[in-house]
Amino acid sequence: MGNKILVALGALAVILSMSVFTVGETERVIKFQLGEIVGADFQPGMHLKIPFINNVKKFDARILTMDATPERFLTAEKKNVIVDSFVKWRIGDVKTFYTTVGGDVGQANIRLDQIIKDAARSEFSKREIRQLVSTDRSAIRDSLITNVSPHASRLGINIVDVQVKRIDLPNEVSTSVYQRMEAERARVAREFRSQGSEAAERIRADADKQREIILANAYRDSEVLRGEGDARAADIFAKAYGEDSDFFAFYRSLIAYKEALGKSGNIMVLEPNSDFFKFFKNQK
Amino acid sequence: MSWNEPGGDKKDPWSGRNEKDNPPDLDEVIRSLQDKLGGIFGGGKRGDSSNGPSMQSIGFLAAGALVLWGLSGFYTVDEGTRGIVTRFGAYVATTQPGLNWHIPAPIEQVQVINVEQQRFIEVGYRSGGGQAMGSVPKEAMMLTKDENIVDVRLAVQYQVKDAKDYAFNVLDPASTLKQVTESVQRGVIGRSDMDFVLTEGRSEIVAAIKTEIQSVMDAYKTGILITSVNLQDAQPPEQVQGSFEDAIKAREDKQRLINEAEAYSNDVVPKARGAASRIVQESEAYKEKVIAQANGDVSRFSQLLAEYKKAPAVTKQRMYIEAMEQVLGKSNNVLVDVKSGGSIMYLPLDKLVNKVAEDAVSAPVPTHEPVVAPAPQAKEIRNDIRASSRERDVRGR
Repeated sequence: MGNKILVALGALAVILSMSVFTVGETERVIKFQLGEIVGADFQPGMHLKIPFINNVKKFDARILTMDATPERFLTAEKKNVIVDSFVKWRIGDVKTFYTTVGGDVGQANIRLDQIIKDAARSEFSKREIRQLVSTDRSAIRDSLITNVSPHASRLGINIVDVQVKRIDLPNEVSTSVYQRMEAERARVAREFRSQGSEAAERIRADADKQREIILANAYRDSEVLRGEGDARAADIFAKAYGEDSDFFAFYRSLIAYKEALGKSGNIMVLEPNSDFFKFFKNQK
Repeated sequence: MSWNEPGGDKKDPWSGRNEKDNPPDLDEVIRSLQDKLGGIFGGGKRGDSSNGPSMQSIGFLAAGALVLWGLSGFYTVDEGTRGIVTRFGAYVATTQPGLNWHIPAPIEQVQVINVEQQRFIEVGYRSGGGQAMGSVPKEAMMLTKDENIVDVRLAVQYQVKDAKDYAFNVLDPASTLKQVTESVQRGVIGRSDMDFVLTEGRSEIVAAIKTEIQSVMDAYKTGILITSVNLQDAQPPEQVQGSFEDAIKAREDKQRLINEAEAYSNDVVPKARGAASRIVQESEAYKEKVIAQANGDVSRFSQLLAEYKKAPAVTKQRMYIEAMEQVLGKSNNVLVDVKSGGSIMYLPLDKLVNKVAEDAVSAPVPTHEPVVAPAPQAKEIRNDIRASSRERDVRGR
C-alpha cells in the first residue's frame, strides 16, 4: 500500500516536471505546439506546457558578438586598407530569428558578416585613410548601425553596436610608411644636430667677441693711464727744471755721464788737457 | 555529504528520477533507521514487512528528506562576492556576504560572483606568467592621425560593479572588454599625432581610453567597472627603432655641442677679463711710477739747485770733479798727450778691448721694467703696446 503511494508520488513528480518549463534571465524561449510556434517572449520564471504536445527551444538572450574576419577595402584615394570589425547584437524577434536562421548563432553571424561588409564597403569607399583613422570613426559607426539595422531585423536581430577595431595598411604600404617615418626621423636628427652646431658657434663667437672687446677696452684704459702718467711727469719736470735751465743741463749731463760712461769695460782715450786734468800736469 | 548537494537530483525525491528505487531496499533503510531511533514514531520494531513500508515510515521518510532538502538551501557568500539568486531562472535577489538561505534546488539557484577581484586583460602583448613581454603585432600596431604606425601595449584592470548585469547581459564579458578596448584605443590613437602619443600625451591618452571604454561597457550593461588603464608601452615600430634612437641621440648631441661651447665661453671670457685687469693695473703702476720718479728727481734737483744758488762756482766745480772721478774711475783709460809726441803713435785698441773683455765681470743689464709673463690671450696686444710704449719707458732718468 505504501509502495503504491510512493509510485504515485513519483509519477506525479514526473508529470509535473514535464508540464512546466523555466526561462532563465539569459534565455529566450519559443514554445511549439506540434511544430507550430504558439508562444515566445516569456518572462523569466516558470511556465506551463502540455507534456508531449508542447515543446520549447531556448536561445541566448545576452549580447552576442560577431567578430568579423579582417577584410580588404578600397578607400576614396584607391588605397587598400585591412579592416577588422565586430558587431554586438542580441536576438530581437525570436520567432523571426528562429525561422530565418534556424535559431543558429553561427548562421546568424555568417549572414551578419555579409551585411556588415556590404555596408562597410560603401562607407569606406567614400572616405580617405586619414578620415577613416582619425576623424570619421564615430560617423562610420553611426551610419553602419543605421544601414545594417533594417537588414538585421529581418533576421530577428537587434544591432547593439558596430565597432571598427583595426584599420591597417597592407604590408607593402606599411613598408613605405616605415620608410617615410625613418626619413622623417633622419630629418629631425639632422635638424637637432645642426641646431646644436648653430647654437654652439653662436656661443663661441660671442665669447670671442667679448674677449676682444674686454682686451681692447683694457688697452684703451691702459694707454690713457700711461699718457696721464707721462703728462704729469713732463709737467713736474718742466716746472722744476725751468727755474735754471743752465744748471739743469749741467746737472743732467753729469748724471748721464755716470750712467752712460761710468761702466767697467769701457776704454776711454783721453787728452790730458781737459778741464779735469787741469792740475794733472802742472800744479799751478 | 552528497545529500546536501544542490542539484544532486538522484537523491531528490521530488525530481521524479528515482523511479527505480526498489521497495525492499527502502524497507531495509527504514528498518535500520527505526532500530537506531528506537521507535520514536511509536511503531513497533517489526513493521509489516510483507506489505511494504507503512504509512508512518513513509511520513517519517518524507519529513527527513524535507529537512535535508531544506538544509541544502544554506550557503555562504564570501567577503568580496555577491550571490545571484534565481527562482526557476528568474532573478530574485542579490545576496550580501555572510550565511544565506535560498529555497533549495530545483526551485532556486545561486550563482556566486566575485565583485572585488581585480581582473585584467592585456592588449598588444602577453605577459605570459613572468616571462618577457611577448608582443602581439596584430593588436599592438596602429595608425596615428599623421599616418604613422605606433606600437601600443595596454593593460586594462577591471572589476565587477554590478553582479546582476555581469551575470545576465553579455556573453563573455572579458572578451567583449578586449574587443572594445582594441576599438577604443585605435580611435583615441587615431585622433592623436605620433609625437604626442610617444611623448607628452601618454597620460591624456590613457585617460581618454579609460573614459571611452567605460562608456561603451555601460552602454552594453556589462556590469564592469574599469579601475585602471595602463599604457605598458608606446613605441615606434621595431622596423624604425634605430632611426628614432638616432633622433634622440641627436637631441643629446645638440645639448652636448651647446654645453661644450658654453664651457669654451666660460673659459675664455674670465681669462680675458683677468688679462684686461693685468693690463690696466700695469699701466696704473707705470703711471704712478713715472709720477713718483719725476717727483723724486725734481725734489733732488730742486734741493741741489737751492744749495747751488748759494755758491754756484764751487758747487759746479765739485760736482764736475766728482762725476769725472766716478766715470774715469770705473773705465779703463788711455791718456794720450798728442802735443808731446811728434811721431805717430800706435794704439793697439783691439788688444786692449780683448784684455778688457777678459777682465770684465759680466754686469747685469739694468732694465726699467719688471719682466712680466703676460697672459696668453693678451700677448699680441701687449706686444703692440710694448712696441710703442717701451720707447717711451726708456727715457726714465
